[in-house]
Amino acid sequence: MAAVNGTVSEQGGVEHAAELVTFTEAVMGDDDTALATARQALRAVLTPAAFVDTCAVIGAFNVVDRIADSTGIPLDEPMVAMTTEVRADLDLARFRSSANTPAE
Amino acid sequence: MTTPSAPGLDYSTAGVPVRDDLRETHAAMLEYLRQPGSWFTGDERLALAAESRNALACPLCRQRKTSLSPEQPAGEHARVSDLPEALVEIAHRIRLDPQRLSREWFDRVRGAGLEEGPYVELVGVVTFTAGIDHFCRALGIPVFTLPEPAPGAPSHYRPEHTRGGTAWVSMLAPEDATGPEANLYDGEFVPNIARALSLVPDHVRLLQHESASHYVAMDAIQDPSVRRDLDRLQIELVAARVSAMNECFY
Repeated sequence: MAAVNGTVSEQGGVEHAAELVTFTEAVMGDDDTALATARQALRAVLTPAAFVDTCAVIGAFNVVDRIADSTGIPLDEPMVAMTTEVRADLDLARFRSSANTPAE
Repeated sequence: MTTPSAPGLDYSTAGVPVRDDLRETHAAMLEYLRQPGSWFTGDERLALAAESRNALACPLCRQRKTSLSPEQPAGEHARVSDLPEALVEIAHRIRLDPQRLSREWFDRVRGAGLEEGPYVELVGVVTFTAGIDHFCRALGIPVFTLPEPAPGAPSHYRPEHTRGGTAWVSMLAPEDATGPEANLYDGEFVPNIARALSLVPDHVRLLQHESASHYVAMDAIQDPSVRRDLDRLQIELVAARVSAMNECFY
C-alpha cells in the first residue's frame, strides 16, 4: 500500500513493483532522460504485452482522474465505508478533491 | 484480422506490438473527437484537444503550476486555437492542474456563462486527449496527429431526467436512463465515475470503450480475477500511483 505513495519495499507482494512505480512516476514527470531509463528497466523485467498494458493503465487513469476532479464527483457510498482505514493510512484527505466527498 | 488503423495513428517507433483493441480504441477516439458533438463542432472539439495538449507548453500554466494559487499569476495563455480565452483557460487547467480544481472555481466558470452541458463536453475532450497522450509518452512514441474536423452542427442533445446535487454537474442515474440512454450503463452498480460525463452520453460510451481496452471493463472492475498480461495487483498499483500523483481522492 505504501507503494501507492511512492515507497516501494520488496516485501510489498507486487511483482516488479519498483520498476512499475519508477516508470509510472517518470511518465508523469517531465524528465525525458529519466523516463527512457525507467522504460528500459521496466522492459527488461516485463513481457512486451505487459509493458503495453502498463502504458495503457497510465493512459486510462490520466483520463478518469481528470474526469473525477473536473466534475466534483464524490466517492461512491459503498466505497466510503470500505475504505475508511485505507484512506486514513494513505492520508488521502490531504488531496483537495477530498472536499468533494462529504465528511463521515 | 486487419489491424485497425486511422490517419494519425503511428505506433511504428514503439518497438513492441500494440494489441488490436488498443489500436481500435485510439482510432475510435480520434474519429469521435473530430465529429460534432452535443455542444461543439468538430473543429471546436479538435481545438480543445489541441489546447489540452498545448497546456504542457503554456508558460502561464507552468508558472501557475508552481505557484501557491492556481490562478496566479494573472495573464493570457499561450494558445494554438481561436477558442475564447475562457475555454482555453478551462482546458489548460483541467489538463495541467486538475488536482487544484474546486467547487468555487467551477461556480465561477458557470457564473461566467458556460452551461454545464458544454462544460462536460469540454471535460471529456480534454481528458480523453490527456489519456491518449500519456499512453504515447509511456510507450515512447510521438503523440498522435489530430485529424481534420468532420462537418456538421452540434446536436444540442441533453438527456432527460439528469439530476444535480451529487457532483458539481448534473448526472443521469441508472434508474433514470431511459429512451436513447436505456442501454447506457452496464451492471448493477454504476459508480459515479461512470455517470460523471452523462450530460454527454456519447462521452460515457467512449469512456466505457476506453476503460475496457486500457484498464478493465467497468462492469468487471469489482472482479479481482480479471487481469491482463499484467496481473491485477500490478494493474492496481500503477493505477493507484497515477492517481496519487494526480492527487485524485476518488
